[in-house]
Amino acid sequence: MKKKIKRIFSHSEIYLFFIIIIFSIILTSINPSFLTLENLFDLIKSSAGMGILAVGFFIVLLSGGIDVSFTAIAIAGQYISANVLMATGVDNIYLAFLISCSVGILLGAINGLLISVFKLPTLIVTLGTLSAFHGALLAFVGTKAINTAELPDCFKVFGHNNIFVLTRADGTSYGLSVYALILLGVVIMSWLILKYTMLGRGIHAIGGNRDSAVRAGFNIVGIQFFIYCYVGFLAGIMGVMHISLLRYSNPMYIVGTELGVIAAVVLGGARITGGTGSIIGTLLGVVMISILEKNLVLMGLSSYWHQLFVGLIIIISVSITSYQNKRRGIRSLTFR
Amino acid sequence: MLGKYSKTIVLFTIMVGIIIIMSIFIPDKFLTVINFQSMASQIPEFGLLALAMMIAMMTGGIDLSVVSITNLTGVIAAVILTKLVSPQMGEGLITLIIILAILVAIISSLVCGLLSGVLIAYVGVPPILATLGTMGLFLGIAIVITEGHGITGFPDKFLFIGSGTIWIIPVPFIIFIVCALIVALVLNKTSLGLSIQMLGSNPVASWFAGISNNSILVKTYMISGLLAGISSVIMISRVNSMRPGYGYAYLLTAILVIVLGGVNPSGGFGTITGVVVGVIILQLLQSGFNILAFSPFFKKFIWGFMLLLVMVINFIIAKYQQRSRKLKIHP
Repeated sequence: MKKKIKRIFSHSEIYLFFIIIIFSIILTSINPSFLTLENLFDLIKSSAGMGILAVGFFIVLLSGGIDVSFTAIAIAGQYISANVLMATGVDNIYLAFLISCSVGILLGAINGLLISVFKLPTLIVTLGTLSAFHGALLAFVGTKAINTAELPDCFKVFGHNNIFVLTRADGTSYGLSVYALILLGVVIMSWLILKYTMLGRGIHAIGGNRDSAVRAGFNIVGIQFFIYCYVGFLAGIMGVMHISLLRYSNPMYIVGTELGVIAAVVLGGARITGGTGSIIGTLLGVVMISILEKNLVLMGLSSYWHQLFVGLIIIISVSITSYQNKRRGIRSLTFR
Repeated sequence: MLGKYSKTIVLFTIMVGIIIIMSIFIPDKFLTVINFQSMASQIPEFGLLALAMMIAMMTGGIDLSVVSITNLTGVIAAVILTKLVSPQMGEGLITLIIILAILVAIISSLVCGLLSGVLIAYVGVPPILATLGTMGLFLGIAIVITEGHGITGFPDKFLFIGSGTIWIIPVPFIIFIVCALIVALVLNKTSLGLSIQMLGSNPVASWFAGISNNSILVKTYMISGLLAGISSVIMISRVNSMRPGYGYAYLLTAILVIVLGGVNPSGGFGTITGVVVGVIILQLLQSGFNILAFSPFFKKFIWGFMLLLVMVINFIIAKYQQRSRKLKIHP
């Protein structure tokens, strides 16, 4: 029993968990309605999208790369699928998902091609594709926002679906959204891939030490190509969830929120150099960032402080992990 | 073929080619003094940011916070210029306050760069994350200071920096050329500059060669911050206002321009000449697109696409050179 507790504490994610608990206690003391089931369900529903993007970003980070274009892929998938559904008159949510995910995989494949075949540096490539994808979407598909009236019903119905429903004292109801189920599905699928397949082992290997992975015989090109297609696929899922949540689509949305997702993943303990991190940590990071984003005002800080806070959090959390890493490197005489 | 300068020669040819094409197709709007003056006054803000990014990239890192530093120092200078100046002050006092504002901007940009540099060198944070964090932090501070509003109304003498001309050349352009020359001098002729190149090329080797990696990195990011600070002075002087959020579109284009200009993102290689020619090419294209009334979204697409195209071409050229080198060894 003692050993088990010691093992749990050796993971850095446990500290994040405690910070979240402490934070929740502070928030509940200011506003008692924070720790209600209804509020928690709402939190899950609104942060599920970010959670899915974070899982995708985490997998890319694990392989030692970076992908900042996922927001452009998400909005592209969302906008294109909404427009196609409106143009053809079909009202099927599954078709929406199909189109969005296909667009996502296609755009992700472009990233994958540039990174795995041409071996270009990942940050700069995805900065370029972020601009190229978003610019192409706005220039070639259109800039017109889709309001609730024009939006096909399937999106609105989907956003309302709940797994189970509870009733309040006055008779109105609230429920845990399907979004939680989708998030759970994505998390389980990603976890299975990372832990139980050679593909997953390969992702960890490439992130840990690329040359060793090459010599061990991993198919670097194939694995990297898969990673970026997978991120595109997840972005496509998020896109449809996002439009159903807002019941509105503006092609300028989603792009610009990259910093929050990156902050969440980095907060969760994933190292930028790759090879380390866990999905649990990523999810905890998303929870922390979501709570912060929505409740900073409750703590007396106006919304102007939000940007400063996120930047400060990134700096503090990466400083801690990087400094630990550096001390470890110096002690073991390894050089970057 | 001429090794280090082959890329620059190719770029120069491209630049001349673009000028010729534009002169043929849109001569009436392109070949005017006004057009050249307009280009020459837009190049410096962006060019200084490109130089700032280049210095950071020469060490194998990246500085995503340059635009935020521009924002923050611009806000600080703007606050000094508006809060400390009252209309009944004498000429001399106003000039003194202008100089004070510029000095404070420069010093705060150095402090910002110092923070990034310390995080990267002494705490060991990877440059992407460190500058991502400082990017948010600096912008956040700027937003808190201004509460989201803009600051306008600077003294006329200050506006000379941004809108004045010496002979027919805009003042900002002169500042830019002077800065580019100084940075080129530092990079190629001083021990600091050579240490930066060596560090970027191989950090482990440079450490064992006795170079103090940490202090060089800190100085690098301080220089980067300084250039961003100079850019902010020019920027707020040109538009006579400051609002947090200016210039974020420049971030991607700065990276595009220096990669276009031959800087290797992994560090160690790159020339100032290449970057300056790259900046000029980009400005030519920008002006051309404006004259042809392209939509800003199409431009966004073009910049992203061009960055990717240039990198793929560089990759192919590098592979070709490698192959021809192998053929030379085995005739």
